[in-house]
Amino acid sequence: MNLHEKRIPIIKIHDYLIVPIQVDMHDKLAIQLQSQILEEIAKTRAKGVLIDISVLEMVDSFIGRMLSGMASMAAIMDTSVVIVGMQPAVAITLVELGLEMPGVDTALNMEKGMEMLERRLNSRKTDSF
Amino acid sequence: MKEILNIKNTKERIDRIEDILASVASGDMDARINSEIEDDFSGIEAAIDLLINDLTDELRQRENMQKELENKLSKIQDQQKTILQQQEDLLELSSPVSKVWDNILILPVIGTLDSQRTQVMMENLLQKIVETGCTISILDITGVPTVDTQVANHLLKTVTAARLLGAECIISGISPAIAQTIVHLGIDLSAIRTKATLQDAMIFAMKQNKRADEVRALGNLALPNEKTD
Repeated sequence: MNLHEKRIPIIKIHDYLIVPIQVDMHDKLAIQLQSQILEEIAKTRAKGVLIDISVLEMVDSFIGRMLSGMASMAAIMDTSVVIVGMQPAVAITLVELGLEMPGVDTALNMEKGMEMLERRLNSRKTDSF
Repeated sequence: MKEILNIKNTKERIDRIEDILASVASGDMDARINSEIEDDFSGIEAAIDLLINDLTDELRQRENMQKELENKLSKIQDQQKTILQQQEDLLELSSPVSKVWDNILILPVIGTLDSQRTQVMMENLLQKIVETGCTISILDITGVPTVDTQVANHLLKTVTAARLLGAECIISGISPAIAQTIVHLGIDLSAIRTKATLQDAMIFAMKQNKRADEVRALGNLALPNEKTD
């Protein structure tokens, strides 16, 4: 019951999944979220995932690795992941930890993240034709 | 038994000496024996008085010195406070981040960089990126004479952190000396976009802007098509 209360919502809009993380992440929740998102990607066949971490004040190395791991996992499933709204302090911490998250796309806010995904989807469409 | 000490009121006088010594010990520096009787014992009393006089002088001198030292210390502390304040002001002044165009921030750096200053710069720049929502920032280091390993590292960190936020950071105006140092130090800047001058960086940034606009327009056109699919 307790676990269900703390579930992070995954919202589907058109081809995208939006994941607003609004609680402090702990390791168990992070692992749970990872599999939850991947299952949702498979179920909805979403083309892009936007993870909003704008309210997270702290991202430790575990969460950082979880996020970058998730991007590569989603990429294998033909889905792009964009991390949205990281706070300056969080970015500094991650860089100091040496977690530079290569290969993970980031955007300043939800709007810009959405644009980014759209751009990518469009270019993929023109590629295939 | 030839010599017989000539001492009057021995008991009282010894008691008096004890009293005086006790009051001196407890801080009353004006207490003296001041015996008026002249005999074999009065020499000792006079000697004790002299000792008390010396002690009083020494104590006074020490107090004066202490006061002087305290004054000097507080002066130095005041000066240090001023210096710290000025240093902080200088740090704030030395990293102005300004929005110069739609979506474009510029941070011109002038003077020698140290770790502390680059740290403040980094924080200011990231804060400003979030505040303004600008996705392109230009770090112009034309006015920087030299760069060491730590500073180069900090610059790298700044660019990486900006990327994590979702903004692109361009470094412009790398002087020949800095280019030499960076390569000699074995720092890999290939992952960072560098431009020769601020002008080049500005042109690049505006091109990026234009491209983003075009893609956005394309996206808007593409949306209705999607529905017909």
